[in-house]
Amino acid sequence: MIKKGTGMACMFYPNGSTGKANPAGAFIKINHDGTAVLNIGATDIGQGSNTCMAQIAAQEMGLKLSQVRVVTGDTELTPYDAGTGACRVTYIAGNAVQKTARKAKRLLLDAAARKMGLIHSGQLVIEEGEIFLRYWPAKRMTIAEAATYSERILGQPIIAVDSYSPATMPLEEESGQGMPFEVSIYATQIAEVEVDTDTGEVKVTKLVAVHDCGKMLNPMLVEGQIEGGVVTGIGYGLYEQIIEDPVEGGIRNPSLATYQIPTSLDVPEDMVIDCVEIPEEKGPYGAKGVSEPTCNPTAPAIINAIYNATGVRIRDLPATREKVLFALRELERKEEG
Amino acid sequence: MSEKVAVSLKINGKEVTLLAAPEQNLLRLLRENGYVEVKCGCEEGDCGTCTVLLDGLSVKSCVTPACACEGREVWTAAGVSRQERIGRLLRDNFAKYGASQCGFCTPGMMVTGVNYLMNNGVPDRQAIRAAISGNLCRCTGYKKIIDAIYHTAQELRRETAGEGML
Repeated sequence: MIKKGTGMACMFYPNGSTGKANPAGAFIKINHDGTAVLNIGATDIGQGSNTCMAQIAAQEMGLKLSQVRVVTGDTELTPYDAGTGACRVTYIAGNAVQKTARKAKRLLLDAAARKMGLIHSGQLVIEEGEIFLRYWPAKRMTIAEAATYSERILGQPIIAVDSYSPATMPLEEESGQGMPFEVSIYATQIAEVEVDTDTGEVKVTKLVAVHDCGKMLNPMLVEGQIEGGVVTGIGYGLYEQIIEDPVEGGIRNPSLATYQIPTSLDVPEDMVIDCVEIPEEKGPYGAKGVSEPTCNPTAPAIINAIYNATGVRIRDLPATREKVLFALRELERKEEG
Repeated sequence: MSEKVAVSLKINGKEVTLLAAPEQNLLRLLRENGYVEVKCGCEEGDCGTCTVLLDGLSVKSCVTPACACEGREVWTAAGVSRQERIGRLLRDNFAKYGASQCGFCTPGMMVTGVNYLMNNGVPDRQAIRAAISGNLCRCTGYKKIIDAIYHTAQELRRETAGEGML
């Protein structure tokens, strides 16, 4: 018999640990052709952080996205970064990029002000690769001209270096109080499952994932991250387990045929992804991060849905067919007395 | 290692003769000869990132003996994605719908996608899901890949309908 049920799980996930230094560095140079090169230690492992960092730099410096080239993944060229993980790249590396871009922009505007014969650069605006006077837009020059002037006439190539690390605040040992993380990410996921009570098979038919990742800097990347995380979460909840050999030692299922991850057929037909965009004032343009929390509430939501459908509570992941079937039989026996 | 033998085959439309060891798989042969768009994932036939078209059928090149490809035609992801019209359209839609994240499954997904569009080509999400179920992806959640293939199928169908060929 097929039984249907719905389950929900909520979570918060900390971002930017403050226990010890957690830095990200960035270099920016603006070339005399008006393009910029951004060197960052944070490595893109497929989540699209290079795009995101280029967006932040371009936005901050008033350049087009295509004018910013990102150099990353080579410690010989890039500054130190604590690593891509724990949701920290958009927030921490993003802040480092924003701070650095702001410095580069300041140098650029100062050079433009000198070229235009202004005493102060306060009224200058950069947009789409051009610098102009706020209330007299006809008075304008390109970023390329300003950068060339700075290099060739002022003798000051436009280079900026900065970094970001959340303010460190170790836990107070006696009271256990403090602020372990700078910001938190919130999410709720709801799973709808079908449990086959004859085989113990669980199928996720619908999954709704709503995340608060601050302001979305790139909605398509955010959506992709959430979809990927949800499917990984389904794997944690239903399929993936490392089977150790208690006698010989070692792992009994060290291949993708025996350690099963979700395939395209295990993904729910109906996956609803949404974001509640609450801008985080400490984040770059209000962003926090999205990656890791995406797979955290999935398995609990599925387990709750199994409980809702059948009344059995699985307390040991993953909820494989055997486990579900065994729990169902046990419940039957109990009910029969 | 045993002595190498010459294998003549057509790769991405070009006749080539390559030297392969008798026990070598097609994946290694391709990668050693510069076709590095064919990725090596598990090398046991599970993950599908090494998928290529062999005489029009999608096969996992890691479990295909190189010497068995004598006189046959191989298309890799790079080859099919340059092909009018299916390959290019699918490639563009992969970009448009964000179907590639870390990109490791992408070469296999491209080949499997092209194979689907060549044969069935119906814009049916369930059929697409079944078609790509032999290709594992860890980071996209498959949805955007299915979207890309689905929309390509739709566009191709619309074009054929427009030409009055249906």
